[in-house]
Amino acid sequence: MSDYILEKESALEGAEHEFNGVNVSEVTDKSLVMVAIPRGTLADVESAIKKSCGLSIPKMEQSTESSDSSITLWRLQNSQVLAYFSYDGDDSESYLKSKFNASAYFTDQSDTWAMIRVNGPKSREVLERICPINIDPEVFPVGSVSRTVMEHIGTIIFRDGDDSYVLLTMRSFGRSMLHAIEVSVKNVL
Amino acid sequence: MIINHPLLGPRDSEEFVYLGSTDLIDRPTNWEEDASSEDFYQYQYIRDNIAGNHRELWYHEQGDQSWLVVTRNTITHEITNVELAQDVSRAMGRGK
Repeated sequence: MSDYILEKESALEGAEHEFNGVNVSEVTDKSLVMVAIPRGTLADVESAIKKSCGLSIPKMEQSTESSDSSITLWRLQNSQVLAYFSYDGDDSESYLKSKFNASAYFTDQSDTWAMIRVNGPKSREVLERICPINIDPEVFPVGSVSRTVMEHIGTIIFRDGDDSYVLLTMRSFGRSMLHAIEVSVKNVL
Repeated sequence: MIINHPLLGPRDSEEFVYLGSTDLIDRPTNWEEDASSEDFYQYQYIRDNIAGNHRELWYHEQGDQSWLVVTRNTITHEITNVELAQDVSRAMGRGK
């Protein structure tokens, strides 16, 4: 047995930047688990998680919240959903599996993503410069989620409040994404 | 160029990668027969150079990783139809 103890570190070391009208900060209290739904069992999986958590499976590019609003489901593909939820333990996969109690395939993806929240009254102006999809408040209402490319980086964008967006990029692109956002902030302010 | 994804709505073509003609779906299945070498030669090398509506495969690499069959006019670049390659392939009796 070795004497080493491994401690987890977030992708951006909890980066936090405040600007006039927009805050950019790393999201460190959320986990992301992919739930792959076996073919032809969507209705079964949905009724199982409805029973256990009060969650229905969202429509494409939309999200749903559990009855205690601790778990959010995102739908970006036909045959799978992503569960985005508050959890600070070390095994989010088993945690979600036991909560959902559904016959689906669970894969923990929490640490493979860098999650950055951009919020504040100027957040939309900042993101409009780098996001190719339409994030007009009417077209992209609170709860919308989409996968696209920003500054050549594959990104998931989720609107979690009126003036609040969470961006997810692959962990190794986290710093580049942070830089892209900061450049956009400087251009806008 | 905007590709109207059947599930995700209008997306910039920058998010996609182009592969080629939809004929690529129709890979010969007679590889055990003598005639297969001619069929594979046709499949692998012979292409129509269409001036007009062309059905082609696009991959949504920076999106949901789906394969699409896009009908595009090679002269005007007008896109008239977009389908999921999965559906097209099943309609052709391929796959599961």
